[in-house]
Amino acid sequence: MTFRPLIMSTPIIHFDHATFGFPGVIALEDISLEIQSGEFVGVIGPNGSGKTTLCRAVLGLMAPLKGHLRIFDCACDELRCHHRAKIGYLPQKGVVDRNFPVTVLETVMMGRYGALGLFTRPSGKDRKIALEALAHVGMEDHRDSALGHLSGGQQQRVFIARALAQQPKVLLLDEPTTGLDITTQHNVVELVRHLHDELGLTVLLITHDINMIRSHVDRLVLLKTRLYAAGPPADVLKPEILSQVYGKDLVITERDTIIVEDYHHHHH
Amino acid sequence: MLDLLAYDFIQRSLLAAALVGALCSTIGVFVVLRGLAFMGAGTAHAAFAGVALGYLMGWPPLLMAILFGLATVWITGWVEEKGRMKLDVSIGILYTATMALAILFIGLMKTYNAEVYGYLFGNVLAVTSEELRTIAGLSIVVIGAIVLFSKELYFIAFDQEMAEASGVPARRIFFLLLTLVALTVVISLKTVGAILVFAMILIPASTAYQLTHSLSTLTWYSVLIGIACSVGGVLISSYWDIPSGPAIVLLATLFFFIAVLLSPKRQRRTLASS
Repeated sequence: MTFRPLIMSTPIIHFDHATFGFPGVIALEDISLEIQSGEFVGVIGPNGSGKTTLCRAVLGLMAPLKGHLRIFDCACDELRCHHRAKIGYLPQKGVVDRNFPVTVLETVMMGRYGALGLFTRPSGKDRKIALEALAHVGMEDHRDSALGHLSGGQQQRVFIARALAQQPKVLLLDEPTTGLDITTQHNVVELVRHLHDELGLTVLLITHDINMIRSHVDRLVLLKTRLYAAGPPADVLKPEILSQVYGKDLVITERDTIIVEDYHHHHH
Repeated sequence: MLDLLAYDFIQRSLLAAALVGALCSTIGVFVVLRGLAFMGAGTAHAAFAGVALGYLMGWPPLLMAILFGLATVWITGWVEEKGRMKLDVSIGILYTATMALAILFIGLMKTYNAEVYGYLFGNVLAVTSEELRTIAGLSIVVIGAIVLFSKELYFIAFDQEMAEASGVPARRIFFLLLTLVALTVVISLKTVGAILVFAMILIPASTAYQLTHSLSTLTWYSVLIGIACSVGGVLISSYWDIPSGPAIVLLATLFFFIAVLLSPKRQRRTLASS
């Protein structure tokens, strides 16, 4: 069920029958998927379905056992640091150590470090980019605050600003709403949608929360080791497709809310 | 007290103390933030085993200290990366094993060697001009490397995985940090000794940690505290004729407890719990 865009162009991320994992432990198998520049793609699937592996693969942190993965038309295992800097990554994260001595602006400036490369010191221009990134997430008034003193939702905004400070082409978010209250979850997803529209970013958002993102994404990718479906939410979120992955854990309410029974979060 | 400053050996030891204080407190920031405190303590004992072997075999003791120190940090760094064993376990084993080696090497020496014990307890007042030049040269190398790679070092101290993902060669920077820790320990061995060197790395940065929420402010505070304690300790030690190592470390410990009492972080906790 590979998505075929109407305009043929080189996809920004291209999985071609790619298999990932360690010999004997396959995390993702035979994935073929093209993500075009400017798309907003949600990746869903149950726990242990290979969502975080997909993340690591896109970051060039692991090479495919079989098949190919190309990012920015570069083989993922040959991805250099300057390529990685073009991917703004928001890792799955607990709350930071509250006493870690770092200010909001210092945190966002770290987003510039990879892009600058070794031996180059951050300049006034980098500071300006970091402050703009803070403005994009509405946190410019907190620039001198201690990161640890912010709420979970505010910290998530700061980490998104750090990703933006890389001036990325792709925004890669791994469970960005974990551990936040419902209102804050919606605010974070809406912020990401807004940034996608405003900055023309390609967004890859990984989540177990289908209802949270279904109305925001252009396309959904349904994973459980293999790729079960990829397409517009209306095409993917059908009982006959979802039940292949979630089995009897799947409940669809009359109001079309999808409930799956594996909401415990995985740790690494 | 001022007339003490007229003596050559006092000037030398003040300069050596200031250099070692600045060096240890700078690297200490990254050691504390990256959670490598115990690793550094293990390195100091390994370096001392190197010194003992050097004296036993008639090889250059500082070179042996560097080799033993580097071997220890690289092995523990590798173990941490692989995640096969808890870091405190692997360091605990290396720590005690190298101390056992040091005791063995000392036991094998036919005669009592006061110089070896000098490395164990340190004596900054006995630093020669030649040693001062070595300390100065190596300090410039280590501090230069820290300045050159400061943004990467801060990033991996904060979040190594994140640093890697955003295009920083995080693994290589981590091993660079380990190497700098080992070199710092070796440089400081003669002045503060193997047992106390780690206090000089840990205490100034931990004291600064109590006082600020900014990475850059933390670093400057740490360096100022490090230099103040070392220089103050040497003056106290020569004025009252007490051993220099304990004078420096106990002064630093005093600063630490004052900082804990005055810490804005502590006050916030007290307010929150009341």
